[in-house]
Amino acid sequence: MKDFLSNTWKHRAHVVLALPVFLVLFFIMYVPMTGLVLAFKNFDVTKGIYGSPWAGIDNFKFLIASKATFINITRNTLIYYVIFTAVGTFLNVALAVAIDQCIFKKMTKAMQTLMIIPVFISYAAVQFIVYAFISSDTGLINNALGTNTRFYMNASLWPAILTITKIWKDTGYGSVLYMSVLAGIDTELYEAAEIDGANRWKKIWHITLPSLIPMITVMLLLSVGNVMRSDTGLFYQVTRDSGVLYSTTQVIDSYVLHAIFKNSNFGFTAATSFFQSVVGLLLMLFANWLVKKIEPENALF
Amino acid sequence: MSRSKKDASLDLAPSKKEKMSVGQVILFICLLIFTVFCFAPVLLVFVSAFTDEVYIAQHGFSFFPEKWSLAGMNAVLKYGKQLFTSYAVTIFVTVFGTLLGLLIMSMYAYAMSRKDFRLSKFLAIFLLIPMLFNGGQLSGYIVFTSLYHLKDSLLLLILPLCVSTMNVIILRTYIVNSIPAELMEAAKIDGAGEYRTFFQITLPLLKPSLAAVGFMMATAYWNDWQNALLYIDTNSKKPLQLLLVNIQKSIQFLLNNNNVPASARAAMGGAIPQNSATMATVIVVIGPIMVAYPFFQKYFIKGLTVGSVKG
Repeated sequence: MKDFLSNTWKHRAHVVLALPVFLVLFFIMYVPMTGLVLAFKNFDVTKGIYGSPWAGIDNFKFLIASKATFINITRNTLIYYVIFTAVGTFLNVALAVAIDQCIFKKMTKAMQTLMIIPVFISYAAVQFIVYAFISSDTGLINNALGTNTRFYMNASLWPAILTITKIWKDTGYGSVLYMSVLAGIDTELYEAAEIDGANRWKKIWHITLPSLIPMITVMLLLSVGNVMRSDTGLFYQVTRDSGVLYSTTQVIDSYVLHAIFKNSNFGFTAATSFFQSVVGLLLMLFANWLVKKIEPENALF
Repeated sequence: MSRSKKDASLDLAPSKKEKMSVGQVILFICLLIFTVFCFAPVLLVFVSAFTDEVYIAQHGFSFFPEKWSLAGMNAVLKYGKQLFTSYAVTIFVTVFGTLLGLLIMSMYAYAMSRKDFRLSKFLAIFLLIPMLFNGGQLSGYIVFTSLYHLKDSLLLLILPLCVSTMNVIILRTYIVNSIPAELMEAAKIDGAGEYRTFFQITLPLLKPSLAAVGFMMATAYWNDWQNALLYIDTNSKKPLQLLLVNIQKSIQFLLNNNNVPASARAAMGGAIPQNSATMATVIVVIGPIMVAYPFFQKYFIKGLTVGSVKG
């Protein structure tokens, strides 16, 4: 203990350097964790978080009472996670390999610059771009096809619309990481394969793809920890938080945001948030455990 | 020594071995199609902003409008004071937040990377926990508004995005792997104190990593609409993204504003150029990032790669 204190005193300058981030994390991240007790309280604005009376598990009874909503938002959160991860990973890898294989390097470089642009556009702006394509009377799609589909009234079309929007926004940027792995492959491997008579497809199949597998595994496993969290902007802004579309578009995060603005269903929202955080923690621990088994040097802790 | 693939890709002409083939042409066309898919919507924003409003109402949005007009752009430029204020708020939050974040995160990363510092293990765990577990939006909202009473404060636009675990890890990895420890020891032997060593030796050497992290942070600040929507009420504190979120209200409010000369309103025939003005606003909001991005591209690609390798 004395050792520890004298070590800390010796490094007092480092303690001072670490202090600002420590304080920001404490007040911005740690204190709100205690807000999760709201799931077991009957929140009263005048009494504050800690002064509000305990409610036991009443809030969770709400959750069971309105289980249709709860099941819907949880199901949507999970389904979109699966779709986005599967389609996203496939396209990121495909694009990285395609760019890597293309021999017109100068052109692909320019094309890549254009492909990355959408990731920098906020969803608040993206929603107007989506609107320009799917609005019922002025939209490009309806005009091109001569139809009059009312996209904003038709919930069944939205899984496709959101997936396409997500692909548009993230694929160019997502492939950069895989491209950096491809750039590191030793060219001797390809040359040796060529001497052995391998054609282009064989080289991709036996050299390029296997070299990407560790990165793909790590990215997939780490994403497991974020299953319960979604891209709020996509589900809140792009859908214009429209009630007609909730059955296929509302996820936990956009539900909570909506509830905060409408000041509604407080107990239900608190219970849902609690559920989201706890399941998120368990999944994160599980994902890290898996990474540790498969690729120990990539584990988070 | 073998020539790495990266060097080879710097030769811009096709190499002798890889001849033009049908496969290459097909691949190139596929890439071109995907590029168009990514860029066309961005282009549509620019075209629509300069399309005549009546044309949009009658024929819909189009890449090749027959009638152009500056009315949308004019409407935005005549926002006057509010646009100016929002720009100032966004620029302030972005610049101040990014600089503050970079400074304090590199300080923390530096402290964490000192080898015989016993507390560094605690610092690492303290940094990691928020990545695993957090209170979620609702707790954050209640704590910030009813415990800290920070509603309508610019602090809530700055602090929540200021520190991120991933960014500290990127900076720490860079310090450990790319800055020789001997350099810092030498400075100490020459009599520099801890602070001086950090600010005059480590911080300047961190530049490439700071550029990468800084650009990503700046983009996150610039694009943040959620905190603004949750916490900001006063017009004088509204950032650009909030103008976009409330665009319908914004355009009406701004056009009815006293700053708009009566002559300008009369010139628009009293009608608000809804669609083209919206797109023009989108340009005003996303423009600066589009302009800055090509200059930072090489840095953030590097930063992304560094971050993926844990030191």
